[in-house]
Amino acid sequence: MREIQARGLSVRLGSVQALDDVSIRLLAGRAMMLVGPNGAGKSTLIKVLLGLVRPDFAVFEADGERVRIDNEWKRHIGYLPEAVAFSDNLSGYQVLRFFAQARGVERRRIGEVLERVGLGHAGRRAIRGYSRGMRQRLGLGVAILSKPDLLIFDEPTAGLDQEGLTVLWSVIDEWRSAGRMVLASTHDLALMERRVDEICVLREGRLIAQGSAEDLRHSAGLPHCIWLEVDPAAEAKVALLCEAMRKWGKGRIERVGDRIRAEVPADEILEVVEIQGGFPGVVQGIRVEEPTLDRVYDKLLGAA
Amino acid sequence: MGRVGRALVWHELLERTRDRWVVVISVLFALLASGVGLYGRSAEVDVAKLTGPSLVTLASLLVPLVALILSHDAIVGERERNTLGLLLSLPIGRFEVVIAKFLGRSLALAAAVGLGLGAAMLVSEPEGVRALLALMGPTLLLGLAFLSLGLLISSVARRQVTAASVVVVVWFGLVFFFDLGVLALLVISDGGISQQAVTDLVVSNPAGLYRVQMMRAFAGPEVLQELGISAGLPGAATTWLLWSGWLAIPTLLSGAMLSRRKVV
Repeated sequence: MREIQARGLSVRLGSVQALDDVSIRLLAGRAMMLVGPNGAGKSTLIKVLLGLVRPDFAVFEADGERVRIDNEWKRHIGYLPEAVAFSDNLSGYQVLRFFAQARGVERRRIGEVLERVGLGHAGRRAIRGYSRGMRQRLGLGVAILSKPDLLIFDEPTAGLDQEGLTVLWSVIDEWRSAGRMVLASTHDLALMERRVDEICVLREGRLIAQGSAEDLRHSAGLPHCIWLEVDPAAEAKVALLCEAMRKWGKGRIERVGDRIRAEVPADEILEVVEIQGGFPGVVQGIRVEEPTLDRVYDKLLGAA
Repeated sequence: MGRVGRALVWHELLERTRDRWVVVISVLFALLASGVGLYGRSAEVDVAKLTGPSLVTLASLLVPLVALILSHDAIVGERERNTLGLLLSLPIGRFEVVIAKFLGRSLALAAAVGLGLGAAMLVSEPEGVRALLALMGPTLLLGLAFLSLGLLISSVARRQVTAASVVVVVWFGLVFFFDLGVLALLVISDGGISQQAVTDLVVSNPAGLYRVQMMRAFAGPEVLQELGISAGLPGAATTWLLWSGWLAIPTLLSGAMLSRRKVV
């Protein structure tokens, strides 16, 4: 599959409009992240795509053709639920063997997957002896077993240790480079930001922002933070530089020890560089910090 | 049944036979059943007079318990472990999941019943084995009826602990207190209830139906008459109809409930 579109997704659960006319578009080789507070509709959206929630209205298209969420559709999807807990009585190998049989996957793939998710040594052990992270990695193994076109993760970082995170990142990278798709819901923006191409922000069942991390930063209009490392020996000139920047009046300027901190709009960064150029020898280094995605997210939710 | 359904049947069998509670109750059933068999052999009494009826009493207590333990978590347990969604994300229908779970757990139940009655047969006189073999089918039907009931409870309950509590109440209610209730009704009504109504009430309960069916097979109708259950005992066709109803209705209801749910 090269493209999946879900348009006009609407789901009413009792008195709550869980999804309200939400549309998303997944492209081959790209990963999308769904973010939003609890109750925003992230899990509902995922469950609609898996056929676990019946929408009141939805149009699904794959490569431009109308499709239904049926068994044929499900053959293309791998799913990792949040905090999945397989039966303690079975081994990791037995769990994977069931899903391999169910999906018509060759038995030798089970060993490959166990190694892939770092459970090669524990595959024959009962799951009751697995840590939370190992259980989550087993769930990841189940999701990738049949090499599906679309991987859907619900809070994939929950409970994962560093080893598990490394496996998760490599799986996401593998899927993107193989021209497949990834859709993940998360609360862990900072962790996931660099792993995805597109972010959808949901609130109260509505899609309030969509785009790359850069697009969202831009649309949020938050200031960038510029740190100017100054020469402590040139105190008089530093004071003059601070004064000049304050007079410029385009941002918030403050002195923090041997540094000057300037919060300015993204399109005024060059102006700051030019101002400090008027005070040669004062500034020894410049560092620009983008607003964190958490701040962007808070701003977007606050504005919605 | 499709590939996923078949895989699920065997997966359920594997998973259930590794459940400690199922193993413990099954082994207990086998030990007690072999004890009954040994006692019947040492007493040198006809199997139909002592071992058979004793095994019926034992099976009517323990087999429903095994069946309810086997089935009470079928749906609600998967939901609590977050694996129901994973299961239903496979190319399989919701109804088929319920049927596959019923079949897989039925095989585990058959193994438990076979183990128990098989143990009794092993220690019994060789000539009594045929009589005990006749117990196998109805005992399995008894278990399947309770398995079906447990599956329904599992579909309705929102939490596994609730399902576990309800199956305990159902087990006590149908296996222990139902007959006492009928008796109390007879006493309270002071003969106002007809013999037919009493019989109908007794056989409407799968445990009662099993006991009546087996008593009739081992001890003959005169024993049932002494117990006050003589009028209009169900014939073979009605008996099969009753068993079919107990097997099918709760399972189908369970499948229908899961299928109709908007959110899984």
